Parts: sequence; structure tokens; C-alpha cells
Amino acid sequence: MEATYQLDFAQELKKCVRCGKCRTSCPVFHELRGESASPRGRLALVKALQTGELEPSEELADRLYTCLLCKTCAVDCPSGVISDEIFVAAREYLAEALGQPLMQRALLRGFLTRPGLHASASSLMRLYQKSGAAAMLDKTHLIEHLPEKARAAARLLPDVAGRPGRKRLREVTPAQGEKKYRVSYFLGCATNLLYPEVAEDTVEVLSRNGCEVVTVDDVKCCGMPHLAYGDMETARELARENLRALSDAGSDYVVSDCASCSATLGETYQHLFDAGTPEHARTKELADTVYDVSRFLVEVTGIQPGEHQVEATVTYHDPCHLSRAQKVTEQPRAVLRAVPGVEFREMAEADRCCGSAGSFSVMHHDISTKILDRKIDNVEATQSELVATSCPTCTMQLSFGLRERGSEATVVHPVQLLARSYRGE
Amino acid sequence: MAAGTATVTAAALVTDMVKLLGPERVFHKDVDLKTYTYDSSFVSQINNFTPEVVVMPTSTEEVSRIMRYADQHGVAVTPRGAGSGQTGGSVAVRGGIVMDLSAWDDIVEVDEVNMQVVVRPGVVHAELNNHISSYGLYFPPDPGSSEWATIGGMVANNASGLRAVKYGNTGQYVLGLEVVMPDGQVIRTGGLKSKALKSVSGLNLTGLFLASEGTLGVITEVRLKVWPKPPSRAIVVAYFDRLEDAAQSVLEVFKAGILPSGIEILDDGAIRSVNLFKPQLKLPEVEAAIFFEVNGSKAATEDEGRQIEEIAKRRAGSVEMATDAKRMKELWTGRQAIGAASARAKPNAARIFAGEDVCFPMAKVPEALRRIKEIGREHDTMVVIYGHIGDGNMHTAPIIDPLKPEEVEAAQRVAEDIHRLALEIGGATTGEHGVGFVRAAFMEEEHGAALTVMRRIKDCLDPKGIMNPGKIWAEE
Ligand SMILES: Cc1cc2nc3c(=O)[nH]c(=O)nc-3n(C[C@H](O)[C@H](O)[C@H](O)COP(=O)(O)OP(=O)(O)OC[C@H]3O[C@@H](n4cnc5c(N)ncnc54)[C@H](O)[C@@H]3O)c2cc1C
Ligand code: SF4
Ligand code: SF4
Repeated sequence: MEATYQLDFAQELKKCVRCGKCRTSCPVFHELRGESASPRGRLALVKALQTGELEPSEELADRLYTCLLCKTCAVDCPSGVISDEIFVAAREYLAEALGQPLMQRALLRGFLTRPGLHASASSLMRLYQKSGAAAMLDKTHLIEHLPEKARAAARLLPDVAGRPGRKRLREVTPAQGEKKYRVSYFLGCATNLLYPEVAEDTVEVLSRNGCEVVTVDDVKCCGMPHLAYGDMETARELARENLRALSDAGSDYVVSDCASCSATLGETYQHLFDAGTPEHARTKELADTVYDVSRFLVEVTGIQPGEHQVEATVTYHDPCHLSRAQKVTEQPRAVLRAVPGVEFREMAEADRCCGSAGSFSVMHHDISTKILDRKIDNVEATQSELVATSCPTCTMQLSFGLRERGSEATVVHPVQLLARSYRGE
Repeated sequence: MAAGTATVTAAALVTDMVKLLGPERVFHKDVDLKTYTYDSSFVSQINNFTPEVVVMPTSTEEVSRIMRYADQHGVAVTPRGAGSGQTGGSVAVRGGIVMDLSAWDDIVEVDEVNMQVVVRPGVVHAELNNHISSYGLYFPPDPGSSEWATIGGMVANNASGLRAVKYGNTGQYVLGLEVVMPDGQVIRTGGLKSKALKSVSGLNLTGLFLASEGTLGVITEVRLKVWPKPPSRAIVVAYFDRLEDAAQSVLEVFKAGILPSGIEILDDGAIRSVNLFKPQLKLPEVEAAIFFEVNGSKAATEDEGRQIEEIAKRRAGSVEMATDAKRMKELWTGRQAIGAASARAKPNAARIFAGEDVCFPMAKVPEALRRIKEIGREHDTMVVIYGHIGDGNMHTAPIIDPLKPEEVEAAQRVAEDIHRLALEIGGATTGEHGVGFVRAAFMEEEHGAALTVMRRIKDCLDPKGIMNPGKIWAEE
């Protein structure tokens, strides 16, 4: 097995002493219980692949894809094993080694075993076709199977808003008051298509906090879905295009309201290119300017507090790509506290994965739903009216969980509450 | 064939196990079996001890049926908890069935008034303590692997840990066991209906299964004595420029009539590793640190904490006393993590669990520490020392590049020499981790004729030798 994704398998794998600590907090293992569903088990499988003890196979792919890439194991590992990155790199290797038909079957197996759900397939089709996530599925012809699976997944999706975010935003939104910075707003696929009102509120909040906001038009999908499916080639291509588009925009900062996008732009891009290449240097420059919106408000502009009361009890769910990938946990809470009238209630296990992880919730619906159940229990225990979170896939998943329970609580992005307070809604 | 003496093919074994348990709790694909070839021992990682099938029973009846089947067909059975053991104990060195009991994790009963709990084998130590803390109770033994080790595995290894100095090992809390014998018979030790906290009725069968490492039967239920949770605790950390001073301070604390609940040592490599894993701890990087934990009433912990502080100051460069819950948690979890975190002591290296759990007589600890460092130097191998110095139980972690065969060989020689040192100065080769596969070779030298008696007991209870073969007794 060759070194890939800027990662030397043998060197990274040797750090795992097989102590078993990562059995403790892996949400997937907690549901499945067999050792091959534990982070330690997956690492052992990658090791066996690397040494040639195991050949690439459909089953092996299945075990490695039954993982949320939530980083819990990596953050908790005393020995410093970067497990999730090892799994991503192994997926790339498997995608190449297995070729499309086998890989497709492995991915589909989880997908096909959904309970029969009856909602319309059209919104899912639309998301997959319009978002960058479709690229990988298209490439492997998975898209052909979507109508069948879409029935299962459609319940996950919100009512797709009519006009996408990109069509609602001006190319340049001026700063209100004194202009402090010029900021490129990186509008991710899911926010654009599913939560365009979050995009509007993010731009409004940035503008209220002294930023001239450029909604860069020709950015592409950040590439996270492709990385998750081992399609490094497309991820690299998307990274190149985004690097160019963002550099052309000539802003001081790049800000996103999607945890996955900011994690990918700010961290993962650096692993895609060889050190010493001009592209690698550009990813490093970009990394210094990329911010999640809450972090940006707290660390760069300072938050202009809300003006009007927003009477609501609010709890907060930490997205994996924000809390573990970017260590951003306090800043979104600070945004919520800056909204007058908000009563913040911390939930138990706020940083435990909600089980969405991009398309994991579709591909492994049963496991995902069990993980979600625990999250919703924790949400409900706070008796909050609103759940705030900073990631569209988490929003989708939490909304689904709350709907299924018949809960009246709704999910918002922290900046939405700040925007409401500015507007006096 | 499924195992050395098995009269059934691997394929038939799988089919029969599926008949017994259904397909969901039987694993037989290569990818799943591969993940049962190891525990945390290095030996299991450089061998390939693959079972034919893995089963996950969740009732006594299921375990009994599997054992009856194994007995009839001569198939080896290796019980397994979380696979956190460091001796290859839960690995099927003779093939056959691995019985993963970690999913069977019901807390059957919490008897608050009688201060005891009844649990199934897969209950994780920390989860038991979380659960019973709302009753004001706790189960004191505290292994570094508390968050994932199972009670079944702890009983089978008679595990102890960070608080053994005051609270002893798991065995001191086991009141009775339900055990499925190798032929499938189900027995209950400690009295069929007993809820007594003491019993000397009959031979001590409970004791027989403690540290039996899965070689005599499968533990399917455990009745544990638990204790009132002390209302207060404090941690005193003393930092020493010389390892020997650290060891002497421990003896001086005992001499002052104080019995701390935990006394842990970290050498320079261990301190560095913990700082790298949890930078917020900011431990001074000296030659050795000792963590003293005291618990009890608020007044008593404060008083004993202050006394320890005074005693330690005589030899230590600096001393820190923590009573703040957050700081204590950081310090304790930092200490618990060293087992795996010691890999960080050297760049581009890993720690290996090569069988180092020696226990020395208290008076010999200072000498032993010095000699362990010398052994490391002789074999040009970095050895990180940490462990339960309060009862003389030391962990000596070789830090090597496991991809370099010469370093692996040197580490194995280090482990061998350290075991011999323990025997030479009147210690034990293992204080808490057990014998398993990795220490079987030392048993004859350590026990002499007593090993023959152990063997006779084993042959009597497991005449076909199907229970976890290849462990404890090297000749199998
Ligand atoms: C980082 C780290 C720190 C550790 N710290 C400590 C420590 O401080 N103190 C300590 O004592 N140990 C420690 N250990 C060792 C280990 O965690 C303990 O031995 C623990 O008790 C093993 O539990 P387990 O569930 O992982 O059992 P396993 O490793 O799965 O099995 C251990 C043995 O028990 C047998 N077994 C398991 N379940 C049953 C059952 N139900 N019936 C019959 N036999 C069974 C197995 O066959 C095997 O022989 C540590 C290990 C690690 C990796
Ligand atoms: S990944 Fe880390 S925590 Fe998990 S078994 Fe390996 S060393 Fe232990
Ligand atoms: S990344 Fe998350 S889901 Fe995947 S193995 Fe680690 S803890 Fe489990």
C-alpha cells in the first residue's frame, strides 16, 4: 500500500498500541458492538491491508465506510493516532483498488436496507444532482440507484427552499457603518440549496459587523463529500478551483457558516498537495484566512450585540467539523449569549456526533438513527425551544430527529438569532 | 479443522454457531476475525492468532449451549472482554471460538442497603461507577483502562490499579460468581442465594476463578461488594530531581501513619508524555513525580494532604496540592492515559506492551527503579517507568520503533531482564495484568511445584483442555 493523501500508512499505524481506549467514545461502535466496528478494529484492518494480510474487498470497504469520520477517536487517542485521516486515506486506496462495481455494491448495501419510507424522492434527487456530493455518486453510477434509496432518505431532507442562497445574495454586500474588512463568503452546497435563509443571515450579520461581503460566485463544492468517498482526484481539482476563485476575490478573510466547509478549506486542503509545491503554499496561505463565522465574529470583528429581545430557550450542538476539527466550541456559544433574551441551556454530551456525517445518515440509516436518538434525548432533557448548530448536515439530521419525535423544537444557526435580534423579529 | 483437537470443520462450526445464536452475533468473515487477533500485547500484534469464529452471547443459557457444543466437539474457547489485556489472554492462540462478552452489559441489580451490585460480564468499569454514584456508592479498584475494561475481564485477571494501595484488587470485592464450566454446567460460587458480605462456607471457589484468565470457565455474572463513596478527595503531586528520592518519600509517608488511596509514580519520560497529550497540565519536567491521592471526610483529606505536602517537601523540588475538581480530574486522567500516551516520549516511536507489570517488595523499590533504568541503557532502549509505586507495582514501557526488528528484539530482551530482576529480588512477574501468553515461560521458575498443583486443578475442571488453551501453562 503506497503512501497517499500525504500520509505514510506504516508510520502512522505503528503509533496505535491497541490499548482499546477508543472503544469508549466511538458512536458507531456503541451501537454495533463488534470489534470491527471500533476505531481500533478499523485501524487493524487498515494495517492488515497495508501489510498485505488482507486484500481489498467489499467487506473491508464496508467496515471502513461504517464510520462517521467524526474524529472522536483521534482527539481522544493518548498515543496521537490520526485515525480519521488514516480512514480517509484508506478509502482512497480502496476506491482505486476495488474499482467501481465492487465499491458501488459496498456503498449501496447500507443504502438498500432502509426501512420502507414513502416520501417523495425528488428533493433528494435535487440535492444530489445540484450539490457537489453528486459528483462522486455520479461517477460510480450510484445516482442511478437513487430513486429507490431516495424514498428512504427523503424524510431526512427539509422542504427544499425555492430560490437557492446564491440567487438571493448580492455579489457584494456593503459594510454597515465603517468598513473594517473585505470578507469572502464561502457559500457551501447544502446551505445554498437547503438553508438559503442561513446564508442571508450570515451575510447580514457580517455586514452589520463592519464587513464588506463578497459572495464569490464561481466557488465549487469544498470537496468534503469526495474526500469522504475516497475520490481524492476530484477533491484536489475542486481545491485548485476554489483556491483560484478565492484568491481572485482578493479579500482579507474567507468566512463560512458551514463547519465542514471551513474545516476542509482551512485544514484538509493542506493534506491534498505535496509540501514544497506552490499549491501547498497556497493552501497554507488560505488556511490563515479561513474562519467559521462565529469564530470570526468573536476573534476578528468582535460581536456587535443584538439590539432587540429574542425571547427563547436555546441549546447548542457542537458539529464534529467545528468542535474537533477546528477546536471551535466557545465562540458559537458566545454568539448566542450576545443575543438579548436568549436563555442558553447546555445539553449533556453536546459534542457527541449527531450521526449525520454527510451521507452516512442515508447510507447507514439504522445506525445513524440510533446515534441520533441519544442526541435528541439530550436535547429534550434541556427543554429548549431552539437547538442551535453551525453545520447544515447537523441541522438536517437534528430537524429530522425532532420531527420524528413530534417535538416542537426547531433548529437554527447561531447567526440567525443574532440577525433576528438586529432586525427586531 | 477448527482447533487442535476439534472434531468439526471450521465451516460446520460457523453454521452451528449461527444455529445457536442467529447470524447477527456470529462473526466469521476474514475482516471481522482479523479484529479479534489482538489485545494490547505486542506479541499478539506480531503473530496472527486468528479464531475460526467469534460469538457474542448475551445470556447464561447461550453461553452454556456454546460450551456444551465446544465440549462435545473439542473446540477451544477463548473468553474476551474489551481486549484491553496486555498478555494475549483474550486472543485465540489455538484457534477455535472467541467468545466476546463485552456486549452483555446489564447491571442486574443495585442493592443500596446491602451495598452490593450484580452485573453481567460486559459492564465497563467506569460505567458501573457512573451508574452507582447516584446511590452514593462506588467500586474502588481503578485500572488505567477503567473507561473500557469490562468487569468480567477484571475478575478474570484480578485487576487492580491506581487505588490498590488502600483498596486492594478486584478480588477483594467479589462476593460470588456465576460461572459456566467447560462442559456447559452452570455453577454459582459464594452461596446460591447468599447476600452475605462474608462467607467461609466451603472451599473458596470464588477465589479459584480470580485471575483464572478464562482458563477454568466463563464468568457470566458477578456479585460485587461496593463501598460508600468518600465525600472528599485531594491530590498532592510532588516533583523530584532524583528518582530515588521519589521512592523514599513514599516510604516516609507510610512511616508517618498515612495510607493514601493512591500513590503513582511518573518518571521523566512519563511526565513528558502526559504533557504532550494534555498540554494544559503543565507538569514540571523533572526526573520523577509522585501523585498522592487521599480521600475521606473533608477535614481528613485536607489534613492528610497537608501532611503529605510537608513530608514530600523534604526531598521534592516543588509540590502541588489540588482540591479543585477540575484540576484533580485533569491530573488523574492524565495519569490514567500514560499507558498509551508514553509513546509520545520519543518522536517517531511507539510504546509497546511487552509484558512489564512487575511488582517489587516495597523496601526494594528504589533499587529496582535504578536497575530498570540500567537495563534500558544496557540494551540501548528507552524505558518509561510509571505505575502504582504505593504497592510496588511498576510498569516499564519500552519506547521503540516497532518497524525496526533490532529495536523490537532489544525491547524483548529488556522485558525478559526486568522479569528476571523481579524474581531475583523477591518480587512477582505480574502484579495485576496476569500471565496470559506472554509470561507463561516464567511460571515454572516463579512457582516451582505449585505450578503442578495449578495444572492438576486445570486438568480436573477442564479435562479436554478447551478453555483458553495456551495461557498460563507454557507446555500446552
Ligand atoms: C492503557 C491500559 C491501562 C491498564 N491499566 C491497568 C491497571 O491499572 N490495572 C490493571 O489491573 N490492569 C490494567 N490494564 C490491563 C487490562 O485493562 C485489565 O487486565 C482488564 O481487567 C482487562 O479487561 P478486559 O475486559 O479488557 O479483558 P480482556 O483483555 O478481554 O481479557 C482479559 C482476560 O480475561 C479473560 N476474560 C475476559 N472476560 C472473561 C469472562 N467473562 N469470563 C472468563 N474469562 C474472561 C480473557 O480470556 C483474558 O484472559 C491496562 C490496560 C491498558 C491497555
Ligand atoms: S487508536 Fe489510540 S486509543 Fe485507539 S487503540 Fe490505538 S492507541 Fe489506543
Ligand atoms: S471517526 Fe468517529 S465513527 Fe469513525 S471510528 Fe472514529 S469515533 Fe468512530
